[in-house]
Amino acid sequence: MNELARDLLPAATVITALAPACRFSLRIAPQDGVEAAGPLGFALPERIGARASANSVEALMLGPDEWLILAPEAARERLVSGFEALSAVHSCVDISDREISLSIGGPGVLDLLSVGCPRDLAALPEGEARRTVFDGVSVVLWRDGSESFRLDAWRSFMPHIESLLASAERARAADCNRT
Amino acid sequence: MSYRVGGRGRVSDRPVTFTFDGRRIEGRAGDTVASALLANGIHLTGRSFKYHRPRGILTAGSEEPNALLQVRRGPGRAEPNTRATVQEIHPGLETESQNRWPSLRVDALSINDRLSPVFAAGFYYKTFMWPKAFWDRVYEPVIRAAAGLGRAPAEPDPDRYASRYLHTDVLVVGGGPAGLAAARAAALPGVRVTLVDETAEFGGALLSEPGTEVDGRQAWAWLEDELTAVAAMGVRLMSRTTAIGYYHENMIALAERVTDHLEAPHPDLPRERLWRVRAGQVILAQGAHEKPLVFNGNDRPGVMLAGAARTYLNRYGVRPGDRAAVITSHDSAYAAAFDLVGAGTAIAAIIDTRLEPPAELLSAAAERGIPVRVGHTVTGTDGRLRVSAVRTAPVRDGRPSFAVRIPCDCVLMSGGWTPALSLFSHSRGTLLWDAEAETFLPDRSPEACRMVGGARGLWGIGAALADGAEAGAAAVAALGRTSAPSQRAVTGDAPGTGQACRELPTDWPNPRAFVDFQNDVTAKDIRLAVREGMRSIEHVKRYTTSGMATDQGKSSNINALMIAADAIGRSAPEVGLTTFRPPYTPVTFGAIAGHHRDGHFEVTRKTPIDGWAEANGAVFEPVGQWRRAWYVPRAGEDMETAVLRECAAVREAVGMFDASTLGKIEVVGPDAGEFLNRMYTNPWTKLGVGRCRYGLLLGEDGYIRDDGVIGRLAPDLFHVTTTTGGAARVMNTMEDYLQTEWPELKVWLTSTTEQWAVIAVNGPKAREVIAPLVEGLDLSPEAFPHMSVAETTVAGVPARLFRISFTGELGFEINVPARHGRAVWDKVAAAGADHGITPYGTESMHVLRAEKGYIIVGQDTDGTVTPADAGLSWAIGKKKPDFVGKRSLARPDLVAAGRRELVGLLADDKLEEGAQIVLDPSEPMPMTMLGHVTSSYQSAALGRPIALALLADGHSRMGERVHIPMPGATLSAEVTSPVFYDPDGDRLKL
Repeated sequence: MNELARDLLPAATVITALAPACRFSLRIAPQDGVEAAGPLGFALPERIGARASANSVEALMLGPDEWLILAPEAARERLVSGFEALSAVHSCVDISDREISLSIGGPGVLDLLSVGCPRDLAALPEGEARRTVFDGVSVVLWRDGSESFRLDAWRSFMPHIESLLASAERARAADCNRT
Repeated sequence: MSYRVGGRGRVSDRPVTFTFDGRRIEGRAGDTVASALLANGIHLTGRSFKYHRPRGILTAGSEEPNALLQVRRGPGRAEPNTRATVQEIHPGLETESQNRWPSLRVDALSINDRLSPVFAAGFYYKTFMWPKAFWDRVYEPVIRAAAGLGRAPAEPDPDRYASRYLHTDVLVVGGGPAGLAAARAAALPGVRVTLVDETAEFGGALLSEPGTEVDGRQAWAWLEDELTAVAAMGVRLMSRTTAIGYYHENMIALAERVTDHLEAPHPDLPRERLWRVRAGQVILAQGAHEKPLVFNGNDRPGVMLAGAARTYLNRYGVRPGDRAAVITSHDSAYAAAFDLVGAGTAIAAIIDTRLEPPAELLSAAAERGIPVRVGHTVTGTDGRLRVSAVRTAPVRDGRPSFAVRIPCDCVLMSGGWTPALSLFSHSRGTLLWDAEAETFLPDRSPEACRMVGGARGLWGIGAALADGAEAGAAAVAALGRTSAPSQRAVTGDAPGTGQACRELPTDWPNPRAFVDFQNDVTAKDIRLAVREGMRSIEHVKRYTTSGMATDQGKSSNINALMIAADAIGRSAPEVGLTTFRPPYTPVTFGAIAGHHRDGHFEVTRKTPIDGWAEANGAVFEPVGQWRRAWYVPRAGEDMETAVLRECAAVREAVGMFDASTLGKIEVVGPDAGEFLNRMYTNPWTKLGVGRCRYGLLLGEDGYIRDDGVIGRLAPDLFHVTTTTGGAARVMNTMEDYLQTEWPELKVWLTSTTEQWAVIAVNGPKAREVIAPLVEGLDLSPEAFPHMSVAETTVAGVPARLFRISFTGELGFEINVPARHGRAVWDKVAAAGADHGITPYGTESMHVLRAEKGYIIVGQDTDGTVTPADAGLSWAIGKKKPDFVGKRSLARPDLVAAGRRELVGLLADDKLEEGAQIVLDPSEPMPMTMLGHVTSSYQSAALGRPIALALLADGHSRMGERVHIPMPGATLSAEVTSPVFYDPDGDRLKL
């Protein structure tokens, strides 16, 4: 890259594995979605990619009848029994152990994620999330801040993703320091 | 002698030494290999592809067809066919000429040039016809050995490569005046602009024309300020970055050369990086390529393009020689001649093929004392390893008259300029013939793409700046923004015109006038192709190989077309231009592979228990994307010993197996049972809660696609398992049916493959091992019989416990949340220690199930096996109105006799999987093949080899003998039931 552009390159991205959380895949007909507000304590988001949250419980709309619910372990029993009591037909499946999440943050995060994600992540609004791919692996990317992302992937793919991110970050850092 | 010109060029004063054919060459930092060689008076850089003719440096850019070198940058870092005009020099760089033996100056195969009449276009189609067998053994190996350029490296490439995606609102390809102006005009706040250039520096033609002034400033000073300005405006500037392909929806591939110019790059840096760019608007400002003139001897070292000579002088401070002859049909060569005269190279003559070049050029030449010969041709050149003279003659009635010999040590030629249309052509852009300029110009592109400057036939820096600025403004206007393009005042600009030529007339009997330098195609070859019936340019191209080298004919296609059109007697647009295809310039395999090599070659999925297997010396095998423990040898054991021990342990005591990779799908909803009724062959309605059933999944064609055990945990909740490799496919198939065929069903599917770690415990002692770990569940055969499932607690962890078996022994599969998988595995291992619990891998699992005749989908089936073929008719719900594949099962060909059916084979030797089966081994070949072996193992339990096979009418051949012809011997086997062990299944009921 040209000398002039190099000064604009950002530095240091931090990748950390997040502690296990409680996750559910909620499937419910959109017209019945209002009922979910009972156990959740807030209304489900109604646009794919949009998020809603209250009291550390988060919901992300992933598809026309699909939401991802994230919650602290302490909320597990309350959520499970709350959804069991729902009158509308639905499916609420525990996927807490299916996935692992990474936190990826720092000024170089967009460059780093561009190694594997074909989406225009600069255009992803803060406070939203997308189901997308990273190096061919299905992932959910949460944008929590301008330089702060979370990445969820099925656990068996994580060694590959983490190792790729680590080597890409080394190359990115070396690129920043190129003389 | 040095041809470096003091005070000229943009290279630094710092000397840099590299080697060429073992000789130390001193260049300057900023030189390419080509400019450094020229500075040392070296033109001869290689031998040509076919005729082994001495060749030199033709161009100063990536279109170079001649100066292709073998380059080494240390062990393993070797690359053939590197263009000397692109490779930048650095200390430690080793370069070598190619296609010569024993040396560049004396090359044995230059005999090919004497034999050139034999090697005319299409010669091997005519010459090497017979005897037919000679083609493979003699002709092709000899031709391949004689032709070709560099040697492919034999060592693994130690470099790393990378790739990235990039989104930009405006992508500008080409950093010359047009591209720069476009980027400047597009660079509004909030508009992402990317400007790429394939060379080390931005500026394009401005770098070669320092005499120009823009807005009253010297070109280079203006350029420096302009680059600072666009960088400050946020334009992403990428040098040494080639746009190699233009794909659908404005997807452009860029190849960035990151370290090839560095002496000691940081080890973490990739050598090259492939960028996949999605651009809102694309501006192609790649300029134009200068055309060679086609004349006898136009390929001698020392003959180069006039524009290239101008670039070497002005950008690199290098003169091509002491005495140049200039041959041209275009005004631009005069500028090169004038610049060189000013730098101390004498111009022996300007030979202009035109009768009336512009008067001001003639007077400018006269002022400088340069003789100009108008209306002349070049009938030939002299010299062997370097041009020593040109012979020129006036043309009368299309024929040369008396020729004179003009001594010189270099020849600068210009046949005019061809717009760089490659990328535009990749985008499926259409071309339009410009009759006046005698060239193809870009017409329409289906993409959001604009061609600017020289790339659309505009000549001169002023025109390029204006055109670029306008296109930049138009690009942002298409994005809904407004930009006012700046107007630039340019002086010292020399826009010119010219005339397109065919091969120049000569009086030599056997002229060697080259059109395609890299593939050694002459004008005569093109005319021969037409004489032999080729009419389309595509046929001419394939017959002569013109334009088929790695340069894709950037310097030759238009010349080839003009000659072919003349020979056919039709106009150039009627004959057509060949299609350009990606990549624009050669790209390394490394850049294409990116990080997909070694550990990152492909995703490797690992189970939660993988760490145990690795720590305990398991040998792994890939299964789909997973790596699974294949067998777990003890010290000194080979595979066979380990597998026999593992199998025996399961049959005699107890074994444990990591089954976490099995696909799992949670099927939830009031219509869950009905959904499974429709998907699987089996009936599900009456399956009780807490019970399991083997499920068989077909395609619409009635063939087996997948299988697995399905457990019912609640009236509206099923736990479906699939094969490891089929997990994603089954899930997608089910979703497909649900969404498109049966949207009315109230049921949802969630993949839980990775939610659960699965530990299979099999063997007569399995219950004793797990009982102490299971809380609150009666495991007795009466309370928890074969094919049961329960939600319980195992080793303190909430679990789904299945009593199922894929080994034929008493078996349990413990499903626990994945994060606990390893801990539970360890606890089961500890609990089983006193019972001799033996971990086993996939190989033992395969043997144990084969002893029971259980199929593995994809091994014992191949996509053409029905349930009846596999002996699984019992799994079909006869009373169900429908299920996927049901109608196909009644197809005449699926119920006809002669189908290949699953059987067991007993032979004295272990058969080979895939081996063909015949009835009569004495039948002359080709024999009638009745089927093949699908699975074959040494069975510990039976003490003999066993095999499964698909055999025509196999179910009615029980007891018959069949034969398996193998290299060296024909084996024989007895057809048996596929259930070799415990046929009544008593052991499952323990």
